[in-house]
Amino acid sequence: MSRIGVFVCHCGLNIAKTIRVSELAAFAAMLPDVVVAKDYKFMCSTPGQEMIANDIKEHKLDRVIVTACSPLMHEQTFRKVLAASGLNQYLLTIVNIREQVSWVTHDIEEGTAKAKALLNGAVYRARLLSPLTSRVIDVSPDVMVVGGGIAGIQAALELANTGKKVYLVEKNSTIGGHMAQFDKTFPTLDCSACILTPKMDAVLQHKNITLMTSCEVSEVKGFVGNFDITVRQKARYVDHSKCNACLACTEKCPGKGVSEWDEGLVKRKAIYIPFPQAVPQKPVIDKESCTFFKKGKCRLCEKTCEHKAIDFEQQDTFIPVKVGAVILATGYDLMDTSELIQYGYGKYPGVYNALEVERLFNSAGPTGGKVTLRDGKEPQAIAIFHCIGSRDKNHYEHCSRVCCMYSLKFAHLFKEKTSADVYQFYIDMRAAGKGYEEFYNRIIGEDVKFIRGKGARVAKSAEEPGRLIVEAEDTITGKFIKLPVDMVVLSPAMIPRADARDVARLFNLSTDKQGFFMERHPKLAPLSTMSEGIFIAGVCQSPKDIPDTVAQAYGAAAEALTIVEKDKMELEATTAMVNPASCCGCQNCVRVCPYGAPSFNAEKRVSEINEALCKGCGLCASVCPASAIIARHFTNDQILAEMEGLMEF
Amino acid sequence: MAISFKQIEEKLKTEAKRLLKAGTVSVVLAYGKGYDENHPMPYVAKNASDVENIVFNEFCTYNMARYLVRYPRGTKIAIAVKAADSRAVIQLVHEEKVFREDLVVMGIPVYGMKNSKTGEEIDSRTTCGLYNPVLYDMLLGEEVHGQPVVSPYDVLAPYEAMDKDERFAFWKKEFDRCIRCYACRKACPMCYCDPCFIDQNKPKWGDKSPQSSGNLMYHLTRFHHLAGRCVDCGECSRACPVNIPLYLFHKKVARECQEMFGQSAGMSIQDKPVLVNFRVDDSDKILE
Amino acid sequence: MSFEPKILGIACNWCTYTGADLAGTTRLQYPQNLRVVRVMCSSRINPSFIFRAFQLGADGVLVGGCHPGDCHYNTGNLYARRRLAVTKKILEFSGMEPGRFRVEWISASEGNRFAEVVTEFTEQIKKLGPQTKFKISQ
Repeated sequence: MSRIGVFVCHCGLNIAKTIRVSELAAFAAMLPDVVVAKDYKFMCSTPGQEMIANDIKEHKLDRVIVTACSPLMHEQTFRKVLAASGLNQYLLTIVNIREQVSWVTHDIEEGTAKAKALLNGAVYRARLLSPLTSRVIDVSPDVMVVGGGIAGIQAALELANTGKKVYLVEKNSTIGGHMAQFDKTFPTLDCSACILTPKMDAVLQHKNITLMTSCEVSEVKGFVGNFDITVRQKARYVDHSKCNACLACTEKCPGKGVSEWDEGLVKRKAIYIPFPQAVPQKPVIDKESCTFFKKGKCRLCEKTCEHKAIDFEQQDTFIPVKVGAVILATGYDLMDTSELIQYGYGKYPGVYNALEVERLFNSAGPTGGKVTLRDGKEPQAIAIFHCIGSRDKNHYEHCSRVCCMYSLKFAHLFKEKTSADVYQFYIDMRAAGKGYEEFYNRIIGEDVKFIRGKGARVAKSAEEPGRLIVEAEDTITGKFIKLPVDMVVLSPAMIPRADARDVARLFNLSTDKQGFFMERHPKLAPLSTMSEGIFIAGVCQSPKDIPDTVAQAYGAAAEALTIVEKDKMELEATTAMVNPASCCGCQNCVRVCPYGAPSFNAEKRVSEINEALCKGCGLCASVCPASAIIARHFTNDQILAEMEGLMEF
Repeated sequence: MAISFKQIEEKLKTEAKRLLKAGTVSVVLAYGKGYDENHPMPYVAKNASDVENIVFNEFCTYNMARYLVRYPRGTKIAIAVKAADSRAVIQLVHEEKVFREDLVVMGIPVYGMKNSKTGEEIDSRTTCGLYNPVLYDMLLGEEVHGQPVVSPYDVLAPYEAMDKDERFAFWKKEFDRCIRCYACRKACPMCYCDPCFIDQNKPKWGDKSPQSSGNLMYHLTRFHHLAGRCVDCGECSRACPVNIPLYLFHKKVARECQEMFGQSAGMSIQDKPVLVNFRVDDSDKILE
Repeated sequence: MSFEPKILGIACNWCTYTGADLAGTTRLQYPQNLRVVRVMCSSRINPSFIFRAFQLGADGVLVGGCHPGDCHYNTGNLYARRRLAVTKKILEFSGMEPGRFRVEWISASEGNRFAEVVTEFTEQIKKLGPQTKFKISQ
């Protein structure tokens, strides 16, 4: 038998004008199990709260019903009153007779009758409420950042500066990402390496950052605040603790691989450092092109190395890491445009994609910063094609956001470094960022020719062997254009990395239609995901430029801090649990939960719910055919009882 | 082409014996003799000597898939199935109650089955209307071709045409006759919950004694729990001692699920059960 | 005395319940026959709740949730949509008047719409009269 206290609020005249509050309290007093029923002008005021607190003690109440405004207004207020009085806060029920009764009718009879029905329902339900305690668990204070591009670097530095320990996991042997491949960045045309390399060095030097390169996440277990992640350290065959980066090993290496860094424009050795400012500055051996791994001979590097840093016996190792939150900043790839055969990428040597052109411009690149074609000649005419693969129903519907701007940048740099004619084939010019429109206007003034029409085709020139013909429709004049050029630059769609789906699966994230990681809410929560404790930043979420990427990186760092800045966290109390005696093992709950909280215990042949992941929505309880799931605070019998009370009068 | 029940029986016995002798399976779910020829029973053969008790005739309507969940997981089981029964096997595999690799499915293509209580011929009016098993490792007879293909939902027409008050009166009369013996539940391969929701006390969904409101809650909820899962084998209705035409309601729900969600229970090994699935473009029209 | 129906409402906390509160703060007026049960998500609704509501004498049942795609719990109402569609079909085939059970997607900003739906639904139930088919007579 319960001892229920009912407290009816007048809310001044807000409620009292339309509902006979004293009559309501008197009605409540007549209901079974109600030991005290009062009405008062302002329940949420200090005297009002004190009244409740006193009555809890005096009447030894074990349930409290506050009949007043919406629970969305003051549920927390009154929960605190209960807690302060030593009563579990989940034994409170709020009956909404203001927003949903007194404010929506003028009819006193109707209003009072409805208030009585609602109150009756609440009394029926209150009898069946149970005290709930939220579990408090320890939170791991460290954070993992996956991806060492500009997003990952900024997030890691920001977090490390607050004193948190950060594990920065990068797939390649160096951090820097695509930004390190760029030459100059729009709209200010500052040198990419100049702004990036100090950051990369800061990462290396920071005592709070553990840099893990040539590493990939191989397993993720646990939940928010307590992730157990296994990182696979790939064999580099170079012992970093001994290597002093003299690079003598690279001089005599006979092995030849294709330089990923230079976008395949040149070859590199089998033992190599991707670029001179690589961090960490240690070489790595590429097994696929190494003569020793392929044929069993050579080992020149080992012989050359004075510090005996080469170790062909190295194996992949697995490193367990415990963190409280994870930021994924895994970046992007450019679409392989060779499938768009009309542009001849991969077929005609004069056709390049944007990253290849960055490497040409870069003074540390394969041509030393000169713009020369694969045959060594300087181009006389260059066509830049926008939207190759983007904004295309047949390939990627999205706009890649940065190509208009980098195409303008390319135009400017081409004009600076060559005497070539430069043509821009565009659909729209998207220059929305800060300083972007001004940059666009500047380029217009630099004798760059703009043709509004998407590049349709690139063909070999019949008249001038070695040259190309680009075809497009100039939609402003309505004429078809056939233009002889030497070089075509394609702006390929920015797409998620090839392994993005695997990463998503590891971290239990959804991806959108294109394969970018799905954010929790496109406007109000762009950096969090449906997996609590996992955050995203940068292009892995959607195409964007460097300023936005950096902003997101800082934002993700703040988000991660909300998890790890406390050393304990309270789990949701109104979670669900499975009564194993009733569970029939149908696994419906496992199939539907958006958070992956239920899992099937194959040994016991019943499902179990991880309460750290449960958000209390109750979906599992309603798909359970055996009524085996108890959705705390919203159990089947509580809801049925409330319905019974609501329908009684 | 006429069905030779005797030939099927022989093949069934041969295969059962072979599988048991070789140790490929430890249990064969089939049919055996009841108190007379016209009243066979479900039968489980556990060793080669049991096989001689196996029969197959036109009265072997039982859906043996109901017994699949009663064995510990990993038990190797051979099961004799007709068309609807094979669909039940597929549905149980979807729900991961049994693993496909633990089963040897012996398919029986057949028509002309008869209700052992009434002698009535069983067709698409009271069952799913398919002749050939949808899933099988072997067929115990030739595939049936050339038999009339009738929609299993044609039988619903007069009931859907009824005025709602008339239809309510019809179902009230039927449900009021229910004695809550739960034979329907026992006969159904998809009803494997133990305890069943209606057996619970917290909450008490319905009265446990046979009376109007508890009967209504039991049956309507059961129809709901079987939505998208019922394979229309009709066994529930044949098991009912007071002959309530449960198959009518199950067919109605199955047809609605097919129309709304484009899926039929137990037809394809790929599907996810309808009510634990959704498509973002499910139409709001289904709620009208 | 004219018939005053008893209508059970089940509203999801994040959208419909909040929308109903908005109708209140905006002082919109609507008939007071609706008695609301608050749940966290429309996906909490077990179809048996609907059957029980009618057995308890509800003349109408109105379920309110977030618009599909906007569920606070990501996919909850997408399952609820399918499930409640089946519930509707079962109610209809059992002979219950189709107009007595209604599902509406009402967001937290649609106070107006909440008031409209409740007014409309109450009118509809008044026309249908008292629900006697499932109601358990004492």
